Amino acid sequence: MRNILLAALLLLSPITYHLSPLYAQSDFDLANIAYTEGRYAEAAAGYEALLQQQQNATLYYNAGNAYFKQGELAKAILNYERALRLEPNHKDAKFNLEFAQSKITDNIEEHDFFLSIWAQAVRNSMHEHTWIILSIVLFLLTLTGILVFLLGREPWLRKTAFHTAWVALLFCIIAGVSANSLHKRDTLRNEAIITQGIVNAKASPDRSGTDLFTLHEGTKVTIRETLGEWVNVKVGKNEGWIPAKDLERI
Amino acid sequence: MKRFFSIFLIIGMALSVFADEVVFKTKAPNQVIAGKPFQISFSVNQQGRDLRAPQFTDFDVLSGPYTSTSSSTSYVNGQRTSTFEQTYTYTLLATRAGTYTIGPATIKVNGKDVQSNGVRIEVLPEDKQPQQSGQSGYSGQSNQGSQQGEIFVRTIASKTKVQEQEAIALTYKLYFANVEGLQLTNNIKLPEFTGFLKQEIEQKNLQAELEHYNGRNYQTAELVRYVLFPQRSGDITIEPANFEFMTQVRVRQRVRSIFDDYFDSYTNVPRHATAPAVTIHVDPLPSGKPAGFSGGVGSFTLNSTITKTEMKVNDAFTITLEISGQGNMKLLKTPAIDWPEGFEVYDPQVKNNFNITKTGFKGSKIIEYPVIARNAGEYTIPAVNFSYYDTQEHSYKTLSTPDYTIHVARGAGEAASDSNQPAVVNYSHTQKEDIKQLGSDIRYIDLSGNWQKHQQRGFIEYGSMEFWLCFLLPLGIAILLLIILRKRIKENADLARVRYKRANKVAQKRLKAARAALKANDKDAFYTEIERAAWTYLSDRLSIPTADLNKDNITALLVQKNVSDALIAKVMNVLSTAEFARYAPTTDHAMDDLYRDTTTLINELEEQKL
Repeated sequence: MRNILLAALLLLSPITYHLSPLYAQSDFDLANIAYTEGRYAEAAAGYEALLQQQQNATLYYNAGNAYFKQGELAKAILNYERALRLEPNHKDAKFNLEFAQSKITDNIEEHDFFLSIWAQAVRNSMHEHTWIILSIVLFLLTLTGILVFLLGREPWLRKTAFHTAWVALLFCIIAGVSANSLHKRDTLRNEAIITQGIVNAKASPDRSGTDLFTLHEGTKVTIRETLGEWVNVKVGKNEGWIPAKDLERI
Repeated sequence: MKRFFSIFLIIGMALSVFADEVVFKTKAPNQVIAGKPFQISFSVNQQGRDLRAPQFTDFDVLSGPYTSTSSSTSYVNGQRTSTFEQTYTYTLLATRAGTYTIGPATIKVNGKDVQSNGVRIEVLPEDKQPQQSGQSGYSGQSNQGSQQGEIFVRTIASKTKVQEQEAIALTYKLYFANVEGLQLTNNIKLPEFTGFLKQEIEQKNLQAELEHYNGRNYQTAELVRYVLFPQRSGDITIEPANFEFMTQVRVRQRVRSIFDDYFDSYTNVPRHATAPAVTIHVDPLPSGKPAGFSGGVGSFTLNSTITKTEMKVNDAFTITLEISGQGNMKLLKTPAIDWPEGFEVYDPQVKNNFNITKTGFKGSKIIEYPVIARNAGEYTIPAVNFSYYDTQEHSYKTLSTPDYTIHVARGAGEAASDSNQPAVVNYSHTQKEDIKQLGSDIRYIDLSGNWQKHQQRGFIEYGSMEFWLCFLLPLGIAILLLIILRKRIKENADLARVRYKRANKVAQKRLKAARAALKANDKDAFYTEIERAAWTYLSDRLSIPTADLNKDNITALLVQKNVSDALIAKVMNVLSTAEFARYAPTTDHAMDDLYRDTTTLINELEEQKL
């Protein structure tokens, strides 16, 4: 009897058999099915519900895709950024983030100095913890190098140790600075994405303030200061106040 | 008195009975002159009977009613049109000046009572003796010799004291009496109306009316009517206007032939009339104009509508402003809407639905602003302010529309739609087929189950104690090591000393090699080893760089270090022997001697503790 019921349910089910909700193991699968069938809003809600329980790069990435398909560029970018926070080497998230960024109106990168863009890319290429471990390892290498240089007998060994030591120290400093910068970024959460379609940055935290520049949906900004319902943001060389409700911290 | 007699057409009669609507009208002149008979007629378009005329209480009935009927039938494109009219005419005489009403008449048509319209008749007083025509405050007249009949044109301004932009009706009115065949020619010279915006009120046809003016009854006609809007303040004089008329004057000619007698002969005589100048005093608008003053003067109302406030990105909508009222509508500035960013605003479309009247433009001006929402979000379209000067309340007034809050939702597939546009990219000029980029889209979601993977927390937190310990501990150990082994560091730091210390060791190594060569009877290797042993030992012991290594330097340094001359001689001997022996034929005995000498020399030098 039960088998018949199950078969009937299966027949009624319009969903492809391998993704049938009867076999869905979890809310994650349900959300994936919703995405597969083009019910993007439902999929996004499903991923968001799971993200309430735990934060995971895959969930952020999938949620970003669901938002992108709905045309919610800002939310898509926000979720890709969050996915990359957790997994800096998530290739798909990187690709999709770049794709989504190509659709936004503002072209901020151009205003930044190329070195700072490059430094940011280096910093973001690895997770904070990876940087920490790397910095410690490199520090140990530096110390070893110094010791070998000072205590070693063989000239070639001492020479090698000397060069190893300074190169390791240089990279140790880079790793340390990167870890520090990432730690600061993640604790301060001072990066945000503009969620409002278009927003004017003002010279003062006040509706009547002079309009300085216009920001569009999806643009990444750095928060410098918060004052009531206003935040002072920096984009490239521009600084201005925008309402806090028009952006969301990554 | 006119009478129309026409032929009865039986068919026309018969058909007219079935004409659809009964029209029964009273016809009478609007103005009559006391003491002069006039006609009033009642006409019906169907066969009627039993006319009951109204009571002509204020008039004397001189004669009537005369009944006349007329009918006509016409064929146009095979369609027959028939008209029928039955007219009852009375001749009346007014006795006293004033305005009187004549009530409706009743007639029976097809057994039903039909009523006509009532009429008002203005009875003008009788002509007095012609007087010198005077000038009133705001009008003037020009007179032309009365013996030929009187023609003059008055300039009538509705107001002579107005505010800037307030409408003035200016009429050139023709008055004439005892003139036959009057015609207006094209020779009209109107003033420039400098300082005014002028708008002519078109007249379909000139209608002559009777008017009692300065004691005389004139036929009058409004020649030209303007509405003027003063554009500047001060006294503005409107120059006189000239009109030329043609009048017919009967000419009495000598009878030349028998036929001439039958015809009256007329000559056209041009007559000129000048409408006098008039000065308008224009007061400026009071100070304190509101910021967004539209230039409007009059009385207006403002309405606004919006097609929708909930929309998606790229949806179009329209805000419509309707300014209605009366005043200088033509000069109103189109109010500007302070659009928020994110909207594509097109040029407003203005529809003018106003007509010119004697009190200015009347009607409405509809301004449509077509807009396309280009960005999602919530926006407020601020109120539109429209300021004008109210001529009735003599103050500035500002009308406002409500604020509109607009929700722009993201359009479905707004971002995705772009990605469907194929972007064909070709990079190469070769015959090879490049991969063609047909489109681009985001990568697919991650369906793998590793969503439950907990984000690994690093075992070391940045800035934590463990973190710093990871650096400080090895650093401490390293420092400790360095302190313990500082002697070695010191030794390492002195490279020369190392060489000094190692000199004997190296020399012994070489001597050992030389000995091996001696045993193997390898002459070349033996001498090379011996020579090297001696030179390297001296170089290391005396700290002489290899480049500066020569016998003179060695001698000088050994002398400096208080080495005995005998030993110096021994050193030189060994060096020379080793140098020369390589190139000279030697015996095994010589080689043995050299080996022994070198060994003792190094030992002796070692004892010297150089």
